[in-house]
Amino acid sequence: MAANNIPPSGFEKDQIFGMAEKELEYRVDLFNKMTQTCFNKCVDNRYKESELNMGENSCIDRCVSKYWHVTNLIGQLLGTGRPPM
Amino acid sequence: MDKSMLAGLESLPEADQQRMAAMMEQVQIRDSLRMYNSLVEKCFTDCVDTFKHKSLQKQEETCVKRCAEKFLKHSMRVGMRYAELNQGAPTQD
Repeated sequence: MAANNIPPSGFEKDQIFGMAEKELEYRVDLFNKMTQTCFNKCVDNRYKESELNMGENSCIDRCVSKYWHVTNLIGQLLGTGRPPM
Repeated sequence: MDKSMLAGLESLPEADQQRMAAMMEQVQIRDSLRMYNSLVEKCFTDCVDTFKHKSLQKQEETCVKRCAEKFLKHSMRVGMRYAELNQGAPTQD
């Protein structure tokens, strides 16, 4: 983080930790939303059995992949600073 | 939450490592509690529809158990796939 060799001040350190905490919470939130969304889209809610069947497994894999792509895409769109079209 | 988040922390001074570890533990606890509540909400919503009795019927109980097991297995699978994507591992379409 520090471009020079001077250690960060107490205030700067707090800022860095604050950012790290926000980043971590973002990742946890992303994972949770991904999990909820893909469960709702892929898993039959009649719960006929406690195992995931092959179709559900494939769906989950693809759902996670697509969710990941959407995350990156939105990230790019937001990252340019212009409002997304 | 995966172990790869702990990697890269070793280069930090001891006090900072402890601070990061404590912060991550806090987030983890909060997340576990949140997961507990949302799992209850989900399985209740999907499995319980009638209120003729105060106690759960056998069928409702079975449904809730399957719901919870399914969700936990699903969550593990999502975690695996997510970790693969994070590492940039190429996967079949």
